[in-house]
Amino acid sequence: MAISEYAAVALVAGGAFFGLVAAVGLVRLPDVYTRTHAASKSDTLGAVLALGGVALVIDAQLATVKAVFLLLFMFLTNPTAAHAIARAARDQGIEPWTTDDADAGGEP
Amino acid sequence: MSGRDQAPLYVESPIIMTTVRVVAPFVLTFGLFIMLHGADSPGGGFQGGVIAGSVVMMTAFAFGIDATREWIDARAIVGLTSLGVLTFAGIGLGAMALDGAFLQYDVYAPYISHASKYGIELVELAIGGIVAGVVVGLFFVLSAGFGHADGGEEA
Repeated sequence: MAISEYAAVALVAGGAFFGLVAAVGLVRLPDVYTRTHAASKSDTLGAVLALGGVALVIDAQLATVKAVFLLLFMFLTNPTAAHAIARAARDQGIEPWTTDDADAGGEP
Repeated sequence: MSGRDQAPLYVESPIIMTTVRVVAPFVLTFGLFIMLHGADSPGGGFQGGVIAGSVVMMTAFAFGIDATREWIDARAIVGLTSLGVLTFAGIGLGAMALDGAFLQYDVYAPYISHASKYGIELVELAIGGIVAGVVVGLFFVLSAGFGHADGGEEA
């Protein structure tokens, strides 16, 4: 295997790890704000790492450029979407989860 | 914050506005790219039209639905859809007028070089226009909600 293929495998493995982190965060965290927090950061990084691996491993020039474009727009749009969701939730008056809710017991 | 019957006043977010400003031209180009690629690779008018129509939805989410509704004339949306239908029907029926079948592009060959390719691409563009217009129109009609009596944009 060429060195670029090792690098691509490492990148895709990192992407899978951060994707898993995002999924765990989405399932385990209590409310919309914390879930957006988990999903936006980890998911963006996971997708970007995986796409970086893809861009490294394909030889065709044009496809590489497309993968890099996809990566850039992922970096740009994913956090913005998370921001929009959190903002909309704030506009709707959803209260953030606090430790008081945990003391009161049960799911929010 | 406010009751369900009265929608809260929309306040723009600079982050969303900036991102939409940067991304929108690329999305429109990408939609056109998908439409034109329908001739010889995955893609086509339907997908490309939806992508192009999503630009209007992005603008609406960033700048407010009512502002976008004022910005885009309803006649432009209906006109885009009608232009698509007329182009599609014109190319299809024009082939029949030249003793071909409906949408038989090669009867145009004596008049235009690469008639099949240009014919397919023009039809894809027409389909894209129809889909984009219908999607945007549906979006505006749905976003008018049930509360407004003056509701429909296209209806």
